[in-house]
Amino acid sequence: MRDVLTRFVTERPRTVYTLVLLVTLATAALMPRIHIDTDPENMLPASQADRVFHNAIEDRFVLHDAIVVGVVNESHPEGIYTEQSLGALHALGQSILNIEGVIPPDLMSLSVADNIAQEGPGTIRFEWMMRDAPVTEAQAQAIRAKVERLPLLLDTLVSGDGKAAAIYVPIESKDLSYAIATEIRELIEALPGDDSWHITGLPVAEDTFGHDMFVQMGISAPLAGLMIFLLMLYFFRSTTLVVAPMLVAMATVIITMGLLIGMGFTVHIMSSMIPIFLMPIAVVDSVHIMSEFADTYHGDADAKGTIRKVLEHLFQPMLFTSLTSAVGFASLLLTPIPPVQIFGAFVAFGILLAFLLTIVLIPAYVVRMSPDALAKLRQHSDQPRTDTPLARLLRRAGSFSIRRGKLISAAAAVFVAVSILGVLRIEINDNPVRWFKSNHPIRVADATLNEHFAGTYDAFVVLTADTSAVISDFRAAAKAQLQVPGDATTAPIEAALAADAADANAWFGNLIAAIDDAMFEAVDAATSDALAELMASAEAAQSRSRPFQRPDLLERIEDLQAALMESGQVGKTNALPDVVKIVNRELHAGQASDYRIPDTTGGVAQTLLQYQSSHRPQDLWHMVTPDFSSTAIWLQLKSGDNQDMSRVTEVLESYLATNPLPQDIDVRWAGKTYINVVWQDAMVNGMLYSLAGAFVAVFVMMSLLFRSVRLGLLAMVPLSVTILGVYGIIGWIGKDYDMPIAVLSSLTLGLSVDFAIHFIERARTMLHADGSFRTAMHGMFEEPARAIARNAIVIAIGFTPLFFAPLVPYITVGAFMAAIMALSGITTLLLLPAILSWAGPWLFPAARRAGAFNTQAADA
Amino acid sequence: MRKVVYLVAMLALASSTYADDALTDADAIVEKANIASYYAGSDGRSEVRMIIADAQGRQQRRQFTVLRRNVEEGGDQQFLVVFNQPADVRGTVFRVDKHLERDDDRWLYLPGLDLVKRISAGDKRTSFVGAHYFYEDVSGRRPTDDRHTLIETTDEYYVLEHEPIDPSSVEFARYATWIDRATFLPMKIEYRKRADGDVYRRVEVFETEMIDGHPTVTKSRVTDLEGGGQTDMQFRFIAYDIGIPVDVFSERSLRNPPGEWLQRPVNRE
Repeated sequence: MRDVLTRFVTERPRTVYTLVLLVTLATAALMPRIHIDTDPENMLPASQADRVFHNAIEDRFVLHDAIVVGVVNESHPEGIYTEQSLGALHALGQSILNIEGVIPPDLMSLSVADNIAQEGPGTIRFEWMMRDAPVTEAQAQAIRAKVERLPLLLDTLVSGDGKAAAIYVPIESKDLSYAIATEIRELIEALPGDDSWHITGLPVAEDTFGHDMFVQMGISAPLAGLMIFLLMLYFFRSTTLVVAPMLVAMATVIITMGLLIGMGFTVHIMSSMIPIFLMPIAVVDSVHIMSEFADTYHGDADAKGTIRKVLEHLFQPMLFTSLTSAVGFASLLLTPIPPVQIFGAFVAFGILLAFLLTIVLIPAYVVRMSPDALAKLRQHSDQPRTDTPLARLLRRAGSFSIRRGKLISAAAAVFVAVSILGVLRIEINDNPVRWFKSNHPIRVADATLNEHFAGTYDAFVVLTADTSAVISDFRAAAKAQLQVPGDATTAPIEAALAADAADANAWFGNLIAAIDDAMFEAVDAATSDALAELMASAEAAQSRSRPFQRPDLLERIEDLQAALMESGQVGKTNALPDVVKIVNRELHAGQASDYRIPDTTGGVAQTLLQYQSSHRPQDLWHMVTPDFSSTAIWLQLKSGDNQDMSRVTEVLESYLATNPLPQDIDVRWAGKTYINVVWQDAMVNGMLYSLAGAFVAVFVMMSLLFRSVRLGLLAMVPLSVTILGVYGIIGWIGKDYDMPIAVLSSLTLGLSVDFAIHFIERARTMLHADGSFRTAMHGMFEEPARAIARNAIVIAIGFTPLFFAPLVPYITVGAFMAAIMALSGITTLLLLPAILSWAGPWLFPAARRAGAFNTQAADA
Repeated sequence: MRKVVYLVAMLALASSTYADDALTDADAIVEKANIASYYAGSDGRSEVRMIIADAQGRQQRRQFTVLRRNVEEGGDQQFLVVFNQPADVRGTVFRVDKHLERDDDRWLYLPGLDLVKRISAGDKRTSFVGAHYFYEDVSGRRPTDDRHTLIETTDEYYVLEHEPIDPSSVEFARYATWIDRATFLPMKIEYRKRADGDVYRRVEVFETEMIDGHPTVTKSRVTDLEGGGQTDMQFRFIAYDIGIPVDVFSERSLRNPPGEWLQRPVNRE
């Protein structure tokens, strides 16, 4: 099979070129269909329970994605409470209402906020908070006085210190956020005054991220390709030699990305990194072939014959390195995060594709080379390149590692121990806003607004009462009661009772209307009395079906809010009790002592009826459902870090453990900040499975490849040391374990094992050929060690352009790519020979029996 | 001034008997529509069932009785609104003294808090108890608050455009009404926030009935085309000229609703 393929590609190079070109063009043609996805929610499968609940909650409480516009005035003593700042805020708020895609009724700003207040003794006033911009200082101060009486607004619409105000702009679709934010920016440009304005909010962050991601793919990835090209040129000093691997890399990247896009997958932050991951891996195999071809080809020989021999020689190690790298990435399918799965699957595919392209394209390329080019190539390979600094260093390293084998092994053991301690210190934490650099306008806005406000990150504690029993109990009881009259007038009542009760409000409403009508029609006193009784029990049941109008439950929510505040992570909570208390206070005398929940359900219901008599009655449904069976506590958090959110969930959990709510009330979290925690947890656990799965798979493959469990174990050493080392460093330097860091484990696994395979395979071959461990090791630190070192250096340095990427995850990957290459290069070239120096006889029993280690013993 | 209007109205009434003799004065049409909508009889009662639905169709119900007394036709009026459903708000009462020459007086009684409160004149374009109707829709907007233009006279309707004289006091830039030529009841009203913008709010009448000689709206709806949602109103047990005494509209009725006048007129329906 392998020979047939090699023959075909060397005999029909044009056909190979045409085929590869056609496939590449066909898949490239799919690329314009690209759809960028930057929604962190998509880290979870659409069917994931918490995500489904979160979306249900957004519908239930009519919550929209919102752009946050903040204004800060640090210079004026009154902060933003001046005619000028409030005027600008007012003008901007009104203009934003006219932007296409904004949802006007749900916009939140002082200019559209409602105020409820006392107007003289015994008089209550409902009015717009700031219908018109203030024109005098006194008017501006009056607005301050009003805002400071309304806990719902304070620290949400205006900061507690009075220096900042915010407009929350709900938008119809996240896709519009960039256009809307741009329009808002233009409006801000035109505003007078010395206020500083900020625009943030998750939709803007996502859109900006998507934009920067394009920049990254358009600039950083090609730049990395160029860097690799230049480095290879430096090492091989032959353009012809280096062009071939670049062609393989480009074809691999284009076909893989084209297929990903063509198959309808979105390009997520993870999949945008596929080109960066594939490029070095795709280059590596071709470098091995070209390198060996250049070394073995002599002018007089036949290029076809030479390349066939080289392929025969390298086919197995290349196949295995490709398979093991692919397995390393394919293991990401075990992580239940769709973008990570797609990333893993397509990188795995790309690696196998790169292998295929390497074995068809490179031979075809070589046989198509002109005699001139071949002659030049031979010249280059004839030049003695064995006295380069790298070659000398490797030779010294080789002899050092053999001489000090036990010392190096012991040092590695210490390193591993220290790394394990580092791993134990790892802090798992992520925050999509931190994917931007700290000087990015979004990070600046985030920091500034969170400094002034109670927090721009939101999460919701949702309480839901199961009221189905109330309805089913009442149905049963009512049927019994209806036995008494049982004439035609009760037919509508029976129909209402039997109707679907999904909307409890509508169900009770219809039922009570039917009873009410029947009472009017009732001809005798007995029927009248029976119906009146039924009405009374229907009304009582209706009241029971609205638990969150009950004062006792509202007081429980107040306690819960207080407990959440005590966590120290929560800037503010807004919930139904706050609404009730404010309205109750203003209905009474407006005194602080009136800021409390009424004693009766009727009192609460009537208070809320007054709240609904405002300009914005719909605001109530952001906190409670119209049937009062479910309510949301809004949390404002100053930090979107998963760790901080997790602490809050723990506080709630421990509070509820000691202060349980009634049994029929379910408590659950929702909100984007919480969703981030969910996928983060899923990812960390998933990564453990992925890593463990890949580890076992690679070990089995290594054992099969070398037909030796012992050598299989040895092959696992460099990657184990590297993975522990890299994560140890992350633990020690205190870098948070986030998504890009998490996928590094598979990259490490995939690349480190390559070096080990090449090293062990070559060492074993040499051991057999030379019959002496010592000579074999000397041979190892010539061409094989140089190939490994070159590869490590090319990949490590090739990715330095990532340092200039606009987004932090890419910088992280670039930096750790270098660390991984350095570590796995060092462990392969130092630790493997060091281990062989003392464990060689045990690892290579056949060679030991053949006496390969006797000479070493004699030499020592 | 009012005499002139009255005269014009009388003339209009006289001329309307001739089918093709349509009115051409917008102010006169509006005045007649105002009388037809809000001043039928010298007093009246009506029971209102309100179904408020949000954009998702989730419902809230309200049921209340409205008692009304004209102090002067086309002029000042008194209203008493007593809530009956849902039971949690039963006994909640609004009392309104509507004035043409000055701000209305409004009071509120909340039985659950045992509290009488005066409501500041302020803004009348706030929601009426969470419905998509405004306070002003319930008690009537003063014809003198807008400039009226007759746009079109069809076989059925006078189509008018109205622009607020004080745009800062309202949320709309203009609205159009379709006034039934026979009954002078506005059958459709459409509000726009910007003069060139889309309709964002629509009031429609679905059913009318002749009651005690007065054409009367019995089913209507307000639709919020911007935020979604709608409120349906059904008017029942309507009666006019029943002789409600003036003291029913006093502060005493807030705490002690006049049961006699709130009861359904059994023999009338």
